[in-house]
Amino acid sequence: MRYKLISCEVFHRELCACAAKSPHSVDLEFLPKGLHDFGGRKMLEPIQFAVNRSEGLGYDAILIGYGLCNNGLNGLVARSIPVVLPRAHDCITVFLGSRKRYAEYFEDHPGTYFKTTGWIERSNLSGQQTQLSMETAIQANLSYPALVAKYGEDNARYLLEQLCGPGHYRRLAFIEMGVEPNSSFEEQTRREAEERGWTFEKVAGDIGMLQRLVNGVWSDEEFLVVQPGHKVVARYDDRVIVAEKNDHH
Amino acid sequence: MVDREKLYQAILTGDAKSARALTEEALKESVDPKELLDKTLIPAMDEVGRLFETNEYFVPELLISARAMKSALELIKPLLAEKGAEPAGRVAIGTVKGDLHDIGKNLVAAMLEGGGFEVVDLGVDVSPEAFVTAAKDKGASIIALSALLTTTMPAMKKVVAALEEAGIRERVKVMIGGAPITQRYADEIGADGYSDNASGAVALARSLAAKVPAAA
Repeated sequence: MRYKLISCEVFHRELCACAAKSPHSVDLEFLPKGLHDFGGRKMLEPIQFAVNRSEGLGYDAILIGYGLCNNGLNGLVARSIPVVLPRAHDCITVFLGSRKRYAEYFEDHPGTYFKTTGWIERSNLSGQQTQLSMETAIQANLSYPALVAKYGEDNARYLLEQLCGPGHYRRLAFIEMGVEPNSSFEEQTRREAEERGWTFEKVAGDIGMLQRLVNGVWSDEEFLVVQPGHKVVARYDDRVIVAEKNDHH
Repeated sequence: MVDREKLYQAILTGDAKSARALTEEALKESVDPKELLDKTLIPAMDEVGRLFETNEYFVPELLISARAMKSALELIKPLLAEKGAEPAGRVAIGTVKGDLHDIGKNLVAAMLEGGGFEVVDLGVDVSPEAFVTAAKDKGASIIALSALLTTTMPAMKKVVAALEEAGIRERVKVMIGGAPITQRYADEIGADGYSDNASGAVALARSLAAKVPAAA
């Protein structure tokens, strides 16, 4: 089979490793991680564009390396070939290998911020954590000096604290996926946790879900196969996403 | 006489220091706090909301105006309580269980306060039971739920269910919001209203407050 994979670059190392081991031929295309900050329609557009561009090139299916991601995949349309997506709220589910495992971890440790190689080396905020990126939160790409100029120093400091504060995260978990070239990513995460006074934890990741995606092993429990003429619809239950007929075409 | 227009402008421009100083001055001159709130402060926040709706103001302007409003309210609220003045309504607000993202919730809480509501801020990661308690014991007639993650959205449904189970669903209104929330989802879980922004949340709370059945 020939597959085209369109993925968030946060899975870069993992998917390169998986594609190399896949029995199928998989062409890879990675989109910027920053799309996540937009969510919704603004995130969907470039992904849909990449899907559309991959049609008519002889692929048997288009594989998607995204979760529902802040509804960014809600409405994705399969036109002439099937589109396959993991049933996942976000990439952490995929890194941990199952919705069940993510739900359990989330239940036991709310307030955990996760790191992987992709989250570290593909970050456009040089490792800084923000509740939402500044750009998203204030709908303008303003630097601190620009904020001071516009709102005065007192208000600028207040805005920074409100929009980019550490929030309520208290734990930093490094998910080890087995694709790390050395321990530097883990060490960096540990240092960051120390600096913030957060709890550090190393969690074993599970590359299985990504491997099954590129191997073409798509159980209904784990993946949604969107047939041509259908679209992805978010469902806030165990299924996460379902396919519905796309009425626009 | 304190210049009311200056106070109005201080709220509008997010000048917290001036807003507080002018309010203090007005109260010293024995201006009726309720009158100051209704005639100057709330209209100023309504104008902030209007500017936001017309895309002249954005989130930073809302935040700093709400902050200025808060600095004035801190002086006025104790006086209102003394006089037994009734707020526009009592809202219990929080992010739902599992969700720790509170920028949106804080902004809505500040805007609601600026709109004359008494806000009981339950914080983040709030259990359905805590919302029920706020409605029962703290007299909240509106419950405002916030979620940033699609993962935590189902917790909103649980709050609605918990209110039903406690037998108080009829006498409280539930409003929901947050980045992934839609009107469709609000309808699906039986919430009474949805707003996609903080200014709209004030208008929504006002319309819901008008529909709250009179306390028995």
